[in-house]
Amino acid sequence: MSLETVSLLKELSGVDGPSGYEDEALKVIEEKIKPYADVLKTSRLNTLIALKRGEGTKKLGIFAHVDEIGFVVAKVEERSFIRLEPIGGIDPKVVLSQRIKIFTKRGVATGVVGFLPPHLQKEDQRGKVPSFDDIFVDVSCSSLGEHVSVGDICVIEGECTELGSKVSGKALDDRAGCAALILAAQELETIKNRADVYFIFSSQEEIAGPGAVSVAYELGLDEAIVVDVTHGNERVPQLPQIKISEGPALAVGPVINREFYKALSDVAKRNGVKIQLEPTPGRSGTDTDEVQITRSGIKTALVSIPLMYMHTPVEVTDPRDIEETARLLALASTI
Amino acid sequence: MRRARKGVKAMYLKELTELDGVSGDEGRVRDFIKEKIEGKVDSVKVDVLGNLIAFKKGTKSKRKFLLAAHMDEVGFMVTNVEDDGTLSFAPVGGVDPRVVVGKHVRIKGEIPGVIGYKAIHLQKKDERLASPKYENLRIYIGASSKDEATQKVEIGDYVSFATDFRCENSRATSKAFDDRAGCAVLMEIIDKNERFEDDLYIAFLVQEETGLRGSAVLFEQLQPDLALVIEGTTAGDDPGLPEHQWATHLGDGPAITFMHRGYVVNKKIYESILSVAQKYDIKHQPKRRTAGGTDAARLAKTGGGVPAGVISLPARYIHSPLSVIDMGDFENTVLLVSKILEEGEGFAR
Repeated sequence: MSLETVSLLKELSGVDGPSGYEDEALKVIEEKIKPYADVLKTSRLNTLIALKRGEGTKKLGIFAHVDEIGFVVAKVEERSFIRLEPIGGIDPKVVLSQRIKIFTKRGVATGVVGFLPPHLQKEDQRGKVPSFDDIFVDVSCSSLGEHVSVGDICVIEGECTELGSKVSGKALDDRAGCAALILAAQELETIKNRADVYFIFSSQEEIAGPGAVSVAYELGLDEAIVVDVTHGNERVPQLPQIKISEGPALAVGPVINREFYKALSDVAKRNGVKIQLEPTPGRSGTDTDEVQITRSGIKTALVSIPLMYMHTPVEVTDPRDIEETARLLALASTI
Repeated sequence: MRRARKGVKAMYLKELTELDGVSGDEGRVRDFIKEKIEGKVDSVKVDVLGNLIAFKKGTKSKRKFLLAAHMDEVGFMVTNVEDDGTLSFAPVGGVDPRVVVGKHVRIKGEIPGVIGYKAIHLQKKDERLASPKYENLRIYIGASSKDEATQKVEIGDYVSFATDFRCENSRATSKAFDDRAGCAVLMEIIDKNERFEDDLYIAFLVQEETGLRGSAVLFEQLQPDLALVIEGTTAGDDPGLPEHQWATHLGDGPAITFMHRGYVVNKKIYESILSVAQKYDIKHQPKRRTAGGTDAARLAKTGGGVPAGVISLPARYIHSPLSVIDMGDFENTVLLVSKILEEGEGFAR
C-alpha cells in the first residue's frame, strides 16, 4: 500500500487550491473517493461530502480541509512587477526567491519573487526580512505576464519529492489529511462500518472560514473527527515532542470530547495503531474549534498527522503516518 | 509563446545552469564544457587548480588574448551531520540566508534535500521579519538518525539549489547565470569556429566566488597580453532599489564595466569595447555601479599585471536560487565579444 500512498500524496500536493478556490483539488479528490462512496455531494460553499452508509447507528463526520495557503494579486505595477497579499498564514521568509504560479484568465503565468543580491544591499536592510509590503514578483519572464491582473489567485510553485521514505512538498497541510480520508474510505470496503460515515473535504480552513462548520450544521452530525496536521519533530516549550513516523497524534483538551477521545484511543490500542498524545489546552487552531459548538454541540476528536516545516513549500510527512491515520479512522467507524 | 530565437543557445544555458558546480566542486561543469569543445579548438588542458584552458592559434600570433569566464557558482557545504539525521551547512560564496528557506537542494549533484523552517505558527512576533541564521538552518534528507544520514552524505559534501532552467518571453530563469552565462558565451564563440589574428586562450575558471582564486594561476601559465572577462552581473532594476541605484537594465544589452572592486578597467580596453559596440551598432550599456568584483581584478594583480576588460550579462537576483536574464542581452554579448575578437590586432592597440 505504501507506494500507492506516496503517489496519492504527490498527486494531491501537486494540485493547486488556495482557500476559496478549491475546485481543482476537489475534482481530483472526488475522482479518488467516488468508488467507495454511496452518495457524493458538494455544498454551496465548495465542500465535498462522500457518504459511506453503515448500520445507521449514528452520524460520524470525518473532516479534512482541501484548501491551502496562497496569495491574491493586489497590485500590478509598471514594468511587469506585481504585489501580493497572502491568503492564510504565510511566512515571508519562505516566499523569497520562489517561482509563483499566477492563475490569470488566459492561463497560468509564472513569476519570480526577486531579491537583491548581497552586492547591492544596504547595510540597514540586512538582518530584516521584507514584509508583503515590500515583496515583489517579477512577471517579465512569463509569456502571460501582461495578462496578470488584480484579483488573480497565486500559489508558490513546489514540486513534491521523495526524501528517502518521506515525502516533501507544498499543501501537505492538509492534503495529507485528505489522503488519509481517501485511504480510510478504501478500508471500509473490508472493515464494516456501523456508523454512517460522512467523509468531508472542506474549504477555507486556512483563513478560519466557513467550509467545515457549515457542513457540520447541514448534516446534523453526532460525532466529528477532524483530521489535520501538527508540528512534527519541533521542540515546543512545555509540550511533548510529536515525532514524524510515530503515528497520528490525538488531541486532548477543551475542544475535544473526553469520552470520544478515550474510545478512539482504546480502539487504537486494541488494534495496534501507534498513536501520540497532543495536549491542547485551548483552541486547536483547526476546524475542531468551531465544529464542536455547531447546532446543539457535536462530540469532537482531533487526529493530527505529524508534519515538519508547516506552511512552507517543503512540508515533510511520512506516508506511514498517513496509513496509520487511515486505519484509525476506519476503526473509529466500528465503535 | 515567444522563445529564444536560437534554441542551441538556450540548450547550453539550460544544461550549464542545471549542473551543480559550487566553488571547489566544478568537475561536473568542467566535464560538460570539455566534452562540448574538444575537437573545436587546437588544444584543451586542465591545470592544477581545475581551470579548463582551451587554445586557438592566431593567424599572426603577435599577442596572446585571454577570454575568461568562471564555472563555479555560490552554494553550500555540509559542515556537520547532526544526531537527528539533519545536516548543518555553511555558504560557499555569498548566499544571503534570506533566500535559502523553503528550497529544494541537491547534495553532490544527486541526493535531494530540503531546507525547511520552523512553522510561522510557532514563531514569536519579532522572529517573523528577522533574517534566518545559518546556525539555525538544517538540510533534511529524510534520515531520522546520524547513522541513516551518513549512509548517503558526509561532512564536506557540496550542496546546490535544485532549480530548473526555463525560457519564456525571451527571458530565462535559472540558478547560476553568474557565471554559467559567461561560460555559455565562450562556448558560443568556440562554436563559431573562427580563427583570429591574436593567439586566443579561452579559460573556464574555478573559484571566482571564493576570492578570485582560479584566475590567480593563469599568468604563470599563459603570460597573456590582454584579457577580457565575461561575467553575469547584478542588475538591480527592480522595486528593491530606487531607479537611481540600479546597476544595469535587463534588455539594454551587455554591460561594460569601467571600474569595480580593486580595479579600474584599463582605459584603452574600456574605450575599445565601447567603440566596437558603436561600430557594429550592438546594443550595450555602461555598468552604472562599481559594486562587486571579477577575475579582471585578479588578472591585473598577477604577474606583471594583465590589462583586462569586463563585459557583463545583466542578471536580476543573482546569488539566489532564481535569477533572470534577457536572451537578447545574451545574444548581443556573444555578438560583441566575437566582433572584438574579429578586430584582431586593432583592438586595444
